[in-house]
Formats: sequence, structure tokens, C-alpha cells
Amino acid sequence: MIRMSDFLSKLRNISQGQELKIAIVLAILGGILTTVAFVMAFTTANMQYHDFTVNLPTFQTNPETRIPLATPEFQPQPPDGTVNYLNPWFSQKIFYFHVPVAWLSLMMFTLSAIFAAIFLKTRNPKSDLRSRIGMETTLIFTLGTMISGSMWTRAAWVNSWGEMAGKLLSEPRLVTYTVMLMFVVAYFVLRRSVDGEEKKATYGAVFTLLAWLIVPFSYAFTRLTQHTIPQAHPADALNTGMDPSNLLPFIVCIFGMSMLGYAIYTLRVAEEKKRMQLEVIKEDLEDALSDSHKQVGHADLMQQYSAAAVLGTATDKTENKEA
Amino acid sequence: MAEYVHNNNQAEAASDTPAIIARGVSRSFGPRKAVDDVSFELPEKAFLSIFGPNGAGKTTLLKVLSTLLPITGKGSASVAGFDVKTQADELRRRLGIISHNPLLYPDLSAEENLRFFADLYCIPNPEERIDELFEAVELKHRRYDVVRGFSRGMTQRMSIARALLPKPEVLFLDEPYSGLDPHASEILDSLIANIRGNHTFVMVSHDLDKGLELASHALILSRGQIVLYDKTDNIEKEAFRGLYRKVVGLGVS
Amino acid sequence: MPALKATGLDALHPVLPNISSWRQYKAILRKDIAQELRTREMVTSMGLYGMLVLVIYYIALSQTGLDFDVTRIAAGLLLLMIVFTSMLGLNRSMIHEHDQGQLEALLLAPIDRPIIFLAKATTNLLFLLIVQIVVVPVFYIMYVSGSLPVQLGEIVPGPWWMIALGLTIGSIGVAGVGTLLATISVNSKGRDFILAVLFIPVMYPLLLVLVAALNAVIGGAVGFESVFWMNIAGAAIYNAVVIAAAFVLYDFILGV
Repeated sequence: MIRMSDFLSKLRNISQGQELKIAIVLAILGGILTTVAFVMAFTTANMQYHDFTVNLPTFQTNPETRIPLATPEFQPQPPDGTVNYLNPWFSQKIFYFHVPVAWLSLMMFTLSAIFAAIFLKTRNPKSDLRSRIGMETTLIFTLGTMISGSMWTRAAWVNSWGEMAGKLLSEPRLVTYTVMLMFVVAYFVLRRSVDGEEKKATYGAVFTLLAWLIVPFSYAFTRLTQHTIPQAHPADALNTGMDPSNLLPFIVCIFGMSMLGYAIYTLRVAEEKKRMQLEVIKEDLEDALSDSHKQVGHADLMQQYSAAAVLGTATDKTENKEA
Repeated sequence: MAEYVHNNNQAEAASDTPAIIARGVSRSFGPRKAVDDVSFELPEKAFLSIFGPNGAGKTTLLKVLSTLLPITGKGSASVAGFDVKTQADELRRRLGIISHNPLLYPDLSAEENLRFFADLYCIPNPEERIDELFEAVELKHRRYDVVRGFSRGMTQRMSIARALLPKPEVLFLDEPYSGLDPHASEILDSLIANIRGNHTFVMVSHDLDKGLELASHALILSRGQIVLYDKTDNIEKEAFRGLYRKVVGLGVS
Repeated sequence: MPALKATGLDALHPVLPNISSWRQYKAILRKDIAQELRTREMVTSMGLYGMLVLVIYYIALSQTGLDFDVTRIAAGLLLLMIVFTSMLGLNRSMIHEHDQGQLEALLLAPIDRPIIFLAKATTNLLFLLIVQIVVVPVFYIMYVSGSLPVQLGEIVPGPWWMIALGLTIGSIGVAGVGTLLATISVNSKGRDFILAVLFIPVMYPLLLVLVAALNAVIGGAVGFESVFWMNIAGAAIYNAVVIAAAFVLYDFILGV
């Protein structure tokens, strides 16, 4: 017998959960904080802008060496190492959002790697779910970082796309993010091309951990092998010290973005969990509906079997008698 | 009479140390359970046939027992007296597998294949053992030929030789008849008949008649659970067939 | 139906020998080499593919003119060729273990999982190196020693053993991590594509320092040794960390 009330109560249970409430509160709070930071950045924050110099690597100034590929005529920067901003106003403003987004993308990637490790240890599908959603959130924030980063690059140095492409290739952080984007995309491509939930989860977790380990290498090695002048990055402004009027929106934005990021993550986890529960109930219901006439318990089957078996033995005996 | 007593003794001795013990074996990922709380004991030198519809968890159960997949949760299992979790290596040395996949390297010769597996199992005097086996499966004349050119029957004989290399106490047969033509399956029949008394067997099969004919014990799995486990002597064939049909109808299609 | 003799089939309760990991390791090596000697599948296809890449380079550079200094991009071209050929080889090597369930047979043997990883990585490395011994000299003649600045003596490349060392270190990384990634990709749909998608971002840092190291040697300018060794040290650290990780993670891949 199917009891619809069982299924209905199961369905009702799904819509309950603490996670969702927390996520919604965080989303609202994060949204407000980020908006406040945005307004502050464009109103109260003082314009703070330094021309600063970067140290040229010594081997580049030695005319006899040709190890780094860039020879002086290829170097786009003035030879004294002074970095000039094309649009200082915008490049300062974007910085408030670029840094928190970048920071969050790394945090989310780390979160994903932690749950990947937990999954490999416990084999609990819920850890895999968290790791996977972590990767999704990483994808969002990596894209955000790259977009805000290239906006910044554009404002800082160049005004044509052609020149910008050249800049993208030489900024270690941007290259690192391109590689990270490749990792996240590869992760989802891999999951799609593997059959079986457990295989998906295991391969995904292994690849996440490996990728997480590679990211610092790709950053360090991009710097190590860099052959053009190291370029000023928004974070370099931090070295010159921040005006309190600048620091406040920056900190507010970091908090706001973190809450938003965590809210996105939690919402997605809650959604996926519900989807999984729903899937189970759906399958159960389908089974119950389609097989309801056959849905006899093992005990019933066994009873039928033993009844038939007794009958069978009886016929055997009569055969023996006849023989 | 004497023979009867002898057999009885053997049965008693065997029941003291079951070859396979499964206690609450489960295997799941998320809400779906491939194997659900399976418990049984199989005496030494018995032949167990496992039946069930597709997706009932037969192959998964076999993989759990052969240490290829870990048990989920608390259950435990042992094969040839060794625990699947803690004594996997000891267990593997006492286990042979014959599957519908030959598990051989097609580009190597028969000799090279056996030599490779002999090294993996660290068998002493591998040449001697390999000679013995070639003799036994009657492939001596083809020992230097590449396996790729073998017929299905010959490949199956090779895969039996491979499985028997380490002189295993337990043999798992994972649908060994699937994809075999009648002739090859006859050859397999005779090979299994030859070694029937030497090992403990577990066979997964779709073929009810063949499975029951060989088996001393039968087990029906459905949705990862045991529906029936009994000695074939106690089983009434027609009723069993009816039960099997019911279970297949029940199963996840 | 042939009546089967019972010899060899009836022996029971054997005295179990000691398990020697070294013997198992050698067995896998010997098996892979025997297989390769018989089919010559990996080395031939990789070598041929490498040669084809050289032809494509020739086409790509055919309009550059005499003033183009090809030694500046030679290190990059060399690495590109090696990346493509090794992806081909890694895939082949794992397909051999997969298509008839051979890996399952390996896993059923009383063998420690790390031995499987080490042995497969060793044979992959071996085949990569063999192919490179054939292909790299051809490349070197075409694009380094045959190039105009080298002919004119404007550029004096560093010693060949430095290039060999750089390529060996690179191949160790490729074979180590590639064995893990190829085991993943061979179990997925669209094997070649998946391997490329996983392999290239993972290899990115290693390829970067290798290009820097090899470029320094090929350029042969004053002080190239220090640049070379710095980058080789980077590659070695990468290899140590990432291969250790692959070694640990390989177990999980085999467990499903």
C-alpha cells in the first residue's frame, strides 16, 4: 500500500532547515554592507594616489645579457620604472571591489579543497556536495576577479584592447587567475565526463586538491620567470599606507563581500541538498506507484516460496512412490 | 556408509571455519544502497551462486569481498579467514577471479602473461607452476603465441590458468559465461567441474539452470538485500525459479 | 570436449611466499617493455607525432625571414612538442591497462598501490625519454644549431647536457603527474580531451620554469647558468611536491 501522507510529510520536511535562514540573513546583510562600501568609495573616500616606482630586476639592465626575452625596445614602461596611471580615479575605486573579490575566490577555493580532503577521508557525499558548490562559488569569484582586474588594468595603463592583451600576459596575478579559471572549468568538465556519482566525487576531489596545490606554484613561477617590468598592482597601493577614509570602505567591503560569498555558497548547498532529497522521494514514489501491485515484502516472497517448496516436495514423494 | 561418514566429517570440519563470512556488509553512496546489510556464511569448498536482477548489487558485493571496494559503515567481511579491511593483502593472495573480461594483456604471449602474474603474486619457481598450468588447461602448444589471436574459449582457459596461479583458496566467478559461445561454455563447464572440489567458489550468474546445477549454496539478491540464502539441497527448483522470476520483476530495471 | 588433467589444478593450501615489492615493480616494468617491444605502439606514435609537430613548426616559421631569431622561441617550441607527444603517450599507456580490465587484475594481486603508481610512472618516463632522444636532436639541429645567429657565432648555446638535464627533470614531472591524470582520464568519456584539459593547467608552472631554463641555455648569454639553475631548482621543488601529492592521491583514484 502506498500512503500518500508519508510522501507529503517527507516533502514537508524538506522545506525546513536552518541553513536557508542563515543564508538569507547573510545575503541581505552582505548586500547592504557592499552597497554602503560602494557609496562610501565614491563619496567619502579621499583621492589617494601615488606615483610609485618599481625596482627593475638587475639582470635586465645589463645590456650584455639577453636571457629575459624582453629587450629594452619591447618594454612598454618608461625605463626609470615609474608607473603612470591613465585613469587614477577609476583605478582607485575599482580597487575596493577587486581585492575583496579576489580574496574571496581564494578562500572559496581553499574551502573547496578542505571539503575535498574531508570527502576523501569520510566518503560522505555531503562533503562532496560542499566541495562542488565551493568550486561553483570559486568560478563566480574568479570571473569577478578577472573582470574587475582587467577593468583596473585598462584604467591603469592602457586604453586599447590590443595593448591590454599584452598586459594580461605579464601580470602574474592575472595569469594565475587564468590558470585557476582553467582548473575550475576542467573540474566541471571532468565531472560531466565521468559516470557514477562516487567516481565523479572522487576524481573531482583528487583534482581539486591537486589544483589547489598548483596555484601557489603558478603564482610564484610566473613571478620568477617574469621577463617584463613588474607592474604595479592594486594591492601595491597598500604598501604606501591607506588613508582612514579609504580604509573604512575597504574593510566594510571585505566583510560585505565575504558575507555575500558565504551566502551564495550556503544557498547553493541548501538548494542542492533539497534537490537530492527530492530526487530520492521522487524515485521512491515512482517505484511505489509503478510496482505497487508487485510490492510484496521479502517475508511474503519467502512464504510463497516455502509454500511452493512444500508442494514440490510432495510431488517428489508421490513420484518416488510410483517409482 | 564409510563414504557417508567421511563426507559428514568433512562438512563438520568445514563448518568450523567458514571460507566467507559477511556480517552486515553495506555499500552505499548517498541515499542509494548498492549492497544493503548483507550477512551470510559460506563453508569451505562450497559453491555459492548469486542470482539477482541487474543492479541488485551482485557485482558490487563481489567487489567488496575481493577488496576492490571498501565497505560502507560498520559491517565486516572476511574471505579465507582474512578481513577485507585490515588484511587485504593476505586475502588477495588467497583469491582468484575469473570474469567475463579475460583480465589479460592481449599483446603479450600466454607465457608472458602468466609470468607477469606469477611475479605479482611472488610465486616461487614460476616456470614450474606455469608449466603445470599450461599442461592442465592444455594450452602448452600455444604458450609462445600472443593472446590477442586466441579464440574465446582459449582466452577463457588462459584466464582460468591466471586465476589459479597462486593456488587460491577461494575463486570468484563474475558472470564467466557471458559472451561465450556454446562450445566455449562447455569447455568452461568441464574446467570448473575439474576444480570444483578444490576451492571455495562464488559465482555471479544470470543463468539460473547453470548456476543451480553447479552450486551447493544459492543466494538471491534484490536491491542489495538477501531475499534467499540456502543450500541447494534444501531448495525446490520450481519454487526457486518462481521466486527468482518475482525478484527480477521487482528489481530496479 | 578435452578431458583435463588434474595436475596443477588440485594443489591446495600452498606455502605462501614472501611478497617482494621489488619483484612486483620489476614485473610491471618488464611487462610494459615487452608489450612495447611487441607493438611499438607508444614510441612509434609519439615519435611520429613529434616529427609532425616539427613539420608544423617549419610551416609556421616559413615566412619569418632571415632576420628572425628563432633561438628566442626555441625553448618554447621544444616544450610544446614534448607536451603534445607526452599527452599522446600517457593516454596510450593507461589504455593498455584499462580496456580489458587489466588494472582490476593488478589491483586484485597482493600489491601495494604505490608500487603500481611508481611502476607505471617509471615506464612512462622511460618511453618519454626514448622518444626525446630521437626527436630533440632533430629539433636542435633545425631550430638551434641551424639558426642564423648560432651559425654566425652571435649566439653560443650552453652545453647540451644542461638541455638534457632540463628535459629529464621536465619528463619526471610529466610522467609523475601524468600517470595520475591519465588514470583519471582513461576512466572518463572523451579520454584525450579530458587529459589535455586536466594536464595543461597542472603542468603550467613546470613548463614555465622549464622554458625559462632552456631559453637561458639556448641563449647562452653571460650568466645563463644562474638563471638555469634557479629555474631548475623551481622545477625540482614542483616535482617533489606535486609527485608526492600524486603518489598519495593515486590510492583514491584506484579505490572507486
